[in-house]
Amino acid sequence: MLKLLWLIPALPFAGFLMLSLFGGRMRRPAAAVIGVGSVGLSALVSILVAADFILVAQKNPSLRVYTQTLWTWIKIGAFKPGILLYLDALSLVMTLVVTVVGFFIHLYSAQFMEESEGYSRFFAYMNLFVGSMLVLVLSGNLLLLYLGWEGVGLCSYLLIGFWYREPANGSAAIKAFVVTRVGDTALAIGLFLLFMNIGSLDIQTVMSTAALRWQTGGALPTLAAALLLGGAVGKSAQLPLQTWLPDAMAGPTPVSALIHAATMVTAGVYLIARTHVLFSMAPAVELAVAIIGAATLLISSTSAIVQRDIKRVLAYSTISQIGYMFLALGVGAWSAAIFHLVTHAFFKALLFLGAGVVISGHGGEHDMFRMGGVRKQSPFVFWTFLAGACSLSALPLVTAGFYSKGMILFDVWQSRQAGFWLWAAGLIGAFLTSIYTFRMVFLTFFGEAKIAMTKKPDLRESVPLAVLAFLAIVGGFIGLPHFLRIGSLSLSLPGFLSSVLPPSVQIGGQRETELLLETVASIIALAGIYLAYFFWLAAPEYSREMSESRAGKAIRRFLFSGWGFDWLYGKLFVSPYKRAASANRNDVIDLVYSFMAGVNRFFHYGLSLSQTGKVRLYAAAIALGAAITISIAVLSR
Amino acid sequence: MGPADLFAALPLILAAASSVAVMLVIAFYRNHGLAAFVTLAGLAVSFASIIVAAPYAPRKVTGLLVIDGYALFFMGLIFAGTFAVAMLAHGYLEKKLLAEREEFYILLLLAATGAAVLAASAHFASFFLGLETLSVSLYALVSYTGSEKAVEAGVKYLVLAAVSSAFLLFGMALVYAQLGTMEFSGIAGMALGAYMGDPVFLGALALIAAGVGFKLAVAPFHMWTPDVYEGAPAPVSAFVATVSKGAVFALFLRYFAMVDIHQSRSLVLAVAVISIGSMFIGNLLALLQNNVKRILAYSSIAHLGYLLVAFLAAGALRVTASAYYLVSYFITMIGAFGVVTVLAGKGGGEMEDIEDYRGLAAGRPVIAAVFSAMLFSLAGIPLTAGFIGKFYVMAAGAGSSLWTLLIALAVNSAIGLYYYVRVIVIMYSGREAEAVAGGGGGETALAAGAPEAAVPFGGGLALAGLTLALVWFGVYPPALLYIIQKMIHSLM
Repeated sequence: MLKLLWLIPALPFAGFLMLSLFGGRMRRPAAAVIGVGSVGLSALVSILVAADFILVAQKNPSLRVYTQTLWTWIKIGAFKPGILLYLDALSLVMTLVVTVVGFFIHLYSAQFMEESEGYSRFFAYMNLFVGSMLVLVLSGNLLLLYLGWEGVGLCSYLLIGFWYREPANGSAAIKAFVVTRVGDTALAIGLFLLFMNIGSLDIQTVMSTAALRWQTGGALPTLAAALLLGGAVGKSAQLPLQTWLPDAMAGPTPVSALIHAATMVTAGVYLIARTHVLFSMAPAVELAVAIIGAATLLISSTSAIVQRDIKRVLAYSTISQIGYMFLALGVGAWSAAIFHLVTHAFFKALLFLGAGVVISGHGGEHDMFRMGGVRKQSPFVFWTFLAGACSLSALPLVTAGFYSKGMILFDVWQSRQAGFWLWAAGLIGAFLTSIYTFRMVFLTFFGEAKIAMTKKPDLRESVPLAVLAFLAIVGGFIGLPHFLRIGSLSLSLPGFLSSVLPPSVQIGGQRETELLLETVASIIALAGIYLAYFFWLAAPEYSREMSESRAGKAIRRFLFSGWGFDWLYGKLFVSPYKRAASANRNDVIDLVYSFMAGVNRFFHYGLSLSQTGKVRLYAAAIALGAAITISIAVLSR
Repeated sequence: MGPADLFAALPLILAAASSVAVMLVIAFYRNHGLAAFVTLAGLAVSFASIIVAAPYAPRKVTGLLVIDGYALFFMGLIFAGTFAVAMLAHGYLEKKLLAEREEFYILLLLAATGAAVLAASAHFASFFLGLETLSVSLYALVSYTGSEKAVEAGVKYLVLAAVSSAFLLFGMALVYAQLGTMEFSGIAGMALGAYMGDPVFLGALALIAAGVGFKLAVAPFHMWTPDVYEGAPAPVSAFVATVSKGAVFALFLRYFAMVDIHQSRSLVLAVAVISIGSMFIGNLLALLQNNVKRILAYSSIAHLGYLLVAFLAAGALRVTASAYYLVSYFITMIGAFGVVTVLAGKGGGEMEDIEDYRGLAAGRPVIAAVFSAMLFSLAGIPLTAGFIGKFYVMAAGAGSSLWTLLIALAVNSAIGLYYYVRVIVIMYSGREAEAVAGGGGGETALAAGAPEAAVPFGGGLALAGLTLALVWFGVYPPALLYIIQKMIHSLM
């Protein structure tokens, strides 16, 4: 079964190829069958591979890694990048998330995109995305990983700007591309640095050599880890490169669910977990990861509270949830970060898909204040959305989000560096999370219906909603806290990951602490929900009054704009750049290149004169050429 | 000459026999499809017979030919290239309003036979015989359609080839006068040391290089190229650009691997000048050219300049890089001319002007994608065979510290990119500019209306195969590398 590994990324690529070559002539159902089917098959193969992998690893614990070298691309000296797939517990978990969640989102898209033009083009891009994402997570080689990394970035660009007739969508796509490019460049430099100093790009070789050769806290590991972190914050929309994600919501909703919630934006988390050896050797960078995570989660969850656009709430929420993952990574709680990545993929994809149904039901309306009463009109959507919302706000015991977030908070508490303050930030974040989440729920689903829902989801939309709702609730049982655990650790996700990612903290004697922390977190979450209920359902006049006051208005504007980062970057980078560009209207630097082009043009015209079409001149040229050749050969001997 | 010799020479014999077979078939029953079929079958059988011949290699067959892995490899390449050209030509000739289409294939097979003889030649006599068999067939092929332009191109080719043959023959005569032998191995044996300083011998080699340079269309012997490629039917241009050049290059490489060119600094210098000159002249001439066939002609001049960099390298990579580069060049050039071929309209009007290609992507997305792939490969963009070929040429050059040549190569890659991408830009812009910008495929393709003329089946199949090979060798080079290293180690 493991031999089929290569099929997992190959199937979506095959789908992309078929759709891009023949999609234009295909009928819509055929395009949907190929687009959804390729990812479905890939998910099926992933499940088979996963089953086989677990069975083999159980029988023989030393076989916890499976590598498949497909071929060596180029071989010159030490530079021989292999097309190498590397399957271990970490990449297996990521593969399952990408293919399974990806499949349900594709299925959903089959209905969601039905009325949009460019149906087959949409699936072609989506398949290309899934293929690239799988290359990213399965690659055993940093060069191939980078190929996937750029591939998903490209697809993100293409899909944000999918409805390209609207200029705003195009500029959102460009913004996303340019901002992430800053991080990508850092990552590329990091890869050069690693290759120069270690002489290999094979991830495992790089990690083991680095551990042998470099000292913890030394300049090289710190620099390399910092550059990789630069790539990670760009892709994962963390401070200071988080500004592109809210605008990226211009893309179709399934795209937001797949790329900008479940998979691509978590690539940074994956990258750090994958290279955790390097990060462990750079404590300063690790601390930076934790602080970036904590700051990002506070900034974006406060912004989420004042948004009106339902998708922007979810976007800011995504940024803040990835902030949690970074927080966990920063304190060395690798597996807690991956655990939250998994549950987040379930519930955030679910929330986006639910929001998509609501938006298209309201004829494309994004503003939550113009919605309402969807609970009565469409109870199924309400209940599934509620499952996702509860999971996001970490409702105690019955949701996946509770367990993953609880694990992160507990691990942060136990960490040595600034444990308490980071924990407090996380706790405040949890409070804010449940406020904005249930504000969204109450505004959208309760109250009076302002517009009648026109469209009802059929099976293609409701099956993904149901499945993801189920996962958003029970998905947490793979990582129960210690005081609830039945059976051994190895049955849980952190236990499964422990062959790759070292466990974060000591377990002994901490049960009481953990129980206490979970209780505090539960109370906080419930308090947040109550507050949301009070302000936006029970007594909306208070919230209105507060936001109408002068101070309230200012604060709201500040938060609404995402703490003014766009304004700041506009002042710092965009407008100076534009000014420089307009000052440079005649393009001083380009003169060099124009000059070169001019030289080329000059020679082109000059040489063209020789092409007279006259045979006698051609013959003369041959004679002259022979004479020159002879004189060089004879005279310079 | 025993049976082993016959088995070793089987690919040559079969290729020659195929042309006779086509001639006989035509004599009794004139049918275009049948003639094409017999041709393709003959080429396929000749190709397959390489496997039969391989166990007998290396073997000297008479004093004239040597059948070794190197020769067999290039014969395979020649037959495969001719096969693709024949497939393209069939659809092309179908559209032409000609009374006699079938003789085309006799000439094509004869030319392929001549090319194969070149790949296996070990003697000046077989060298010249092969070259003339190839050339005389080509004169007729170039002017086959009988249009004024084609005839003009054919006559130009004839006159200039005759001039260059005179140089070549005179060079051979001088070598014979100095050394008293015309066998390569004999020349190589004597050319060591003393003779490499002899001005008459060096002059003779330079004359031979000039004659060969004409066939390779390298500067300053390149001037005929655009005129002939433009006037000739597109499939014939493809043949001249690839099979004819490839065979001559194979011989050139074999000859100067035996008579080690690195013994003579001055010869290396001469070839280096030719190489750099070809790169610059080819690319600069192509820069603002508006005729697609001429662009490809100039591009082929530049590409031979690149190839000479590998030729001048030392060590094992020299032959590997040359062979890989030639394979990718074959695929790409035949593919590019193939696109021009299949786009030829009823009556044979070819789409030559670059403006004819404006908006092609909207009407015929697949053809435009194939052409783009070919152009990207010519430019050496990764994931195409052209990239790997250029990469190996670079690596071979770097291994021998040919820095001047490599800098010229890099500069010229940049210049070349301009006119390759220019064609692509024109294909993907134009009338439906707005719709195409959204992604090219999808609904826009249908909106643009049905294509004017269907792509012929054979030509389409050939293009599909070439595109597949292009990507295959670009993404997965080891297979081809393995074959190259297995087959041509005899020369390393």
